[in-house]
Amino acid sequence: MWLESALILIILFGIIILGNNRLSTMIQLLALQSLVLSITPLLIHPSIHAFTMTIVTIVLKVIVMPSLLFWAIRHVSIRREVQPLIGYGKTLLLGGFLMGVAFLISSKLDLPDKGMSNLLVPTAFSLVMIGFLLLVTRFKAITQVIGYLVMENGIFLFALLLLEKTPLLVEMGIFLDIFVGVLVMGIIINHINQEFGSASTVNLTNLRD
Amino acid sequence: MGFQILLHIGIVIILSPLLLGIIGKTKAFFAGRWGAPLLQPYYDIGKLLRKGNVYSTTTTWIFQAAPIVSLAAVLVSSILIPMGGLKAPFSFWGDIILFAGLYALARFFIIIAALDTGSSFEGMGASREAAFSCLAEIVLFLDFIILALLSKKLILSEMIMRNILSWELFGPVLLLVVASYFLVLLTENARIPIDDPATHLELTMIHEVMVLDHSGWDLAYILYGAAIKLFVLGALLVNILIPFHGLPAIVQFMVFWGGMIILAIGLGIVESCMARLRLNRVPQLLTGAFVLALVGLLIILVKGV
Amino acid sequence: MMDFFLYSLTILSVSGVLIILTTRFRKMSESIFLISLILGCGLGFISAVTILASRTPIDYRLNFRMPIGEFYIGVDPLSAFFLLVITILFFLAGLYGYSYLKDHGKKNLSVHYALYHLALISLMLVVTAQNAVLFLMAWEMVTVTSYFLIVFYDEREVTRKAGYLFLIAAHTGTFCLWVMFLLMARHTGAMNFDQMMLTPFPLPLAGLLFVLGVIGFGVKTGFIPLHIWLPHAHPAAPSHVSAVLSAVMIKMGVYGLMRIIFIIKDFPEWCAVTLLLIGMISGVGGVLYALGQHEIKKLLAYHSIENIGIITLGLGTGLWGQIYHNESVILVGYAGALLHVFNHAVFKGLLFLSAGSVIRSTHTGEIDHLGGLLKHLPWTGCLFLIGSLSICGLPLFNGFVSEWLVFRGLFEGMFQFKMNALIFNSLGIISLALIGGLAAACFAKAFGAIFLGNSRSVDFTHVKENSPIMCVSMFVLGGICLWIGFFPTQMVSFALGAASTISSAQISTTIEEAIIFPLLKVVLVLIILMTIAVVLILFKRIAMKFLPIENAPTWGCGYSLPTRRMQYTASSFAEPILRIFRNVLGFNVEGNKPKGYFPDEAKISSHVLEASEDILFRPIFKFIEFLSVKFKIIQYGYTQLYLLYIFIFLLVLLVWKMI
Repeated sequence: MWLESALILIILFGIIILGNNRLSTMIQLLALQSLVLSITPLLIHPSIHAFTMTIVTIVLKVIVMPSLLFWAIRHVSIRREVQPLIGYGKTLLLGGFLMGVAFLISSKLDLPDKGMSNLLVPTAFSLVMIGFLLLVTRFKAITQVIGYLVMENGIFLFALLLLEKTPLLVEMGIFLDIFVGVLVMGIIINHINQEFGSASTVNLTNLRD
Repeated sequence: MGFQILLHIGIVIILSPLLLGIIGKTKAFFAGRWGAPLLQPYYDIGKLLRKGNVYSTTTTWIFQAAPIVSLAAVLVSSILIPMGGLKAPFSFWGDIILFAGLYALARFFIIIAALDTGSSFEGMGASREAAFSCLAEIVLFLDFIILALLSKKLILSEMIMRNILSWELFGPVLLLVVASYFLVLLTENARIPIDDPATHLELTMIHEVMVLDHSGWDLAYILYGAAIKLFVLGALLVNILIPFHGLPAIVQFMVFWGGMIILAIGLGIVESCMARLRLNRVPQLLTGAFVLALVGLLIILVKGV
Repeated sequence: MMDFFLYSLTILSVSGVLIILTTRFRKMSESIFLISLILGCGLGFISAVTILASRTPIDYRLNFRMPIGEFYIGVDPLSAFFLLVITILFFLAGLYGYSYLKDHGKKNLSVHYALYHLALISLMLVVTAQNAVLFLMAWEMVTVTSYFLIVFYDEREVTRKAGYLFLIAAHTGTFCLWVMFLLMARHTGAMNFDQMMLTPFPLPLAGLLFVLGVIGFGVKTGFIPLHIWLPHAHPAAPSHVSAVLSAVMIKMGVYGLMRIIFIIKDFPEWCAVTLLLIGMISGVGGVLYALGQHEIKKLLAYHSIENIGIITLGLGTGLWGQIYHNESVILVGYAGALLHVFNHAVFKGLLFLSAGSVIRSTHTGEIDHLGGLLKHLPWTGCLFLIGSLSICGLPLFNGFVSEWLVFRGLFEGMFQFKMNALIFNSLGIISLALIGGLAAACFAKAFGAIFLGNSRSVDFTHVKENSPIMCVSMFVLGGICLWIGFFPTQMVSFALGAASTISSAQISTTIEEAIIFPLLKVVLVLIILMTIAVVLILFKRIAMKFLPIENAPTWGCGYSLPTRRMQYTASSFAEPILRIFRNVLGFNVEGNKPKGYFPDEAKISSHVLEASEDILFRPIFKFIEFLSVKFKIIQYGYTQLYLLYIFIFLLVLLVWKMI
């Protein structure tokens, strides 16, 4: 019951991120999503292992990364995604459709569910899809990072399936990777901004030749 | 049977403007004012009933028929839903379709009455109402699908009545339904953030601009109809939210009416905290409501009923 | 009762000849037309009703052998139901047409009347033929006679083009039907439907036949994307012909599909899914295209596609029930589809006839030029309103009853079956809800722009109501709309009888009661609605005695000189919805906006792109044209050469046989 509510909350935050155009709200929503996400290990399997993960996740995903992103948008002073590739309404509908696909796929897959919740896998899939959608349809580098992080949240949920199997060290390694990734992204955003005067990835098409 | 129907309709007629009064009071409280009295909507309607009518020379009988048809349709829709300890006087297989149909009937007449005046502003409002209500209707039906699947029934009063068990099993789904239905409620009743009845610019309004030319008894009927619509759709929402049915009548009674008051206050809070959306964002909001309900349906699909 | 039906056929065919013979004496041929129409349709109607009431089929074989099959006709409840639709609509539209064409002067009306009879006979034969060859011959006759009825105004180029398009499309469909029936005949070794039924069909073959049937019948019915001829042909024909085209002729495809389902019985699951998908696409697509139209008859033509979509949804539901052996869903689905066939015939007939009345009075069908006609054409206006309310599926009117059945079938299908049913039925319910909302918007637009407000172009004060005969036909149709809205029992039980024929399901009284009982409750609620409305009217009447009533111009929101040119037009009314769905539709707005403080000229126009016509069929036709041009090389114009071609072909065939 609680686990499912948490999972649905996670999806909801994903949907709202999709339909939003204000960058600061998106980052806040991402932080909220990550907060709910970080509690899920405890809900699935309360143990010290899970507890450590929760702490680490909260620190990294709820505190550090959002602050990094906030720093980035302050630095390049952009407030909203202006021209997405397709409109917000349509992105939402497309998101709904992709979620349908995700739910269908996961109902056909045979995964080690172990009776945790049959919503876990669909949610993870949906998040990956939503993240992809953000990556594909938005131009601002910040939104791209947000999309990437949403996708990562989905992968995190997948990893929860193997919560007891994976040693802590591996997870730590993954977290470090992401952290470094976001850091690099932040720096890149900064540099795009310096070079072109705006933080839109559209400018990168100039690098084609 | 006849008595039950009269009782139901009577309660709806007497109490529905009160809901608007509570909303007004809440908004005034949030604005730091004392606000109009709780019974202000009654005074408004009473004032209109004492006034004569002004008819535009352009209009035909449609203009005069619309308030009557819409009020009658909305009023009759109330006998399909239970209120507190009172059972719905009419409940039969497939009444949800009639429920939606009655609202469509009321809406159709209000729209053509707006077109009857030949005013460009009213035409604009009518056009918007037609566009947004299409989207709201899809969301409404998606919610109905979920409720029907959960109860395996097509009877409105039984679809919304359930025991505590279903909240335990399908709590999240029901919350999604409630959330998306709430957005439908806001759209259908032309509340903030979809529409702001209090603005003074006709260009931005939806529902209020359609009734610009109505006056006297006609306007009173329309306003009453709007109040009843809010009341009935709100009662449906409260019924979905109440987790237990089958308690003693007195408890049910208190829970239901308490729920209605809380709903009114909640609406007031929403309206105090939010601004009206730009018109081109409204379809987006309804798409959001659609996706919410869709997620609910998907969850049922995965979990099975 | 078979006698009645045969008499009806005989009367119609004999009088058809008589009408042609008396061409010179106009009065005489007109009276023959009217009398034979009354007799023919009346007898057909009686035989249909008696068979529907008794639910026992009757058949008739003529010992006269046709080239391949025999002349074998039979009326079962399914045929009788369609016979009912045909006779009612042809009778009323014929009456209307007689009055409509009265002062058309020079045209040779006798030929038109004779063709009208011929179309009626061939339609009656289509629904009663129990032999594949006879069916196809009647089908072909329907096509040809409808073509001649459509090109009544053959002096206009648009009409001729529409006629050609119809002919080409219809024959493409008939080709598929030939293949389908030949395959069926090969598998079963028989040409009569009752013998075909005895042999079970393997599922893959059933699937193939289903595809051929959907294409073949779908062209005539107007499934999207096979509908391209429909929006051209309906506006081109005179109004009473458009009424029978839309109300009766396109339903023959539905009848054909039902007959195929009746013969084959066992279908793979994807067939039901296909039908549901076709229903959704045609329904939503049809109504969206209709919203983008500016011409009244074209708008109505697209609404026919929408309603075919609803019918197909019902059909798909029934088929789904048949695949999963659920009696209730079968009956509700098929009965919903059948009743919607009837209802659509009635209200669409009504709408076309009243649109014809508008066009006849004002000489224009452009919605944006009209306005304020309710004051000048009060009856036509009221009847158009009744038709609009019915087509939107609003309670109190007949459209609601059939849509209620289809909705119910979809919901119940969802309860009983598996994952796929859940997905597609919920999609079906959502699209049906969307169709309802969009149709309401579309008819609010049409009714509002034509009949309400003020005239948008010229002054229509001289416009007078049309002749009483035209009004009578419309009144009867409007009456049927209200009758089914308030007393649905009779027609629902007729539809259930026909539905049980399709599925050969024995219809038990409990199921029938379970279907009809809630409808009676609906009626009760509607009666309460009427009572409340009456009470409200009384209150207002009494109050108005004591209160002043004033008349004033419409408030212009502070603008002091509002003119009628400033009214909201139909195009602007539909614009927000079209904008929401612009990606589905291809909705274009062109024009230049007013610029500067003293803008000189500004104009705007919007149109909807016909995707299947412009994207799908035009390139195909272009390609065929290209090929044909290439093939022209073998054309020299010498007769000898053509004989040589035939000779070569014969030789090739002989050699082929030898190998």
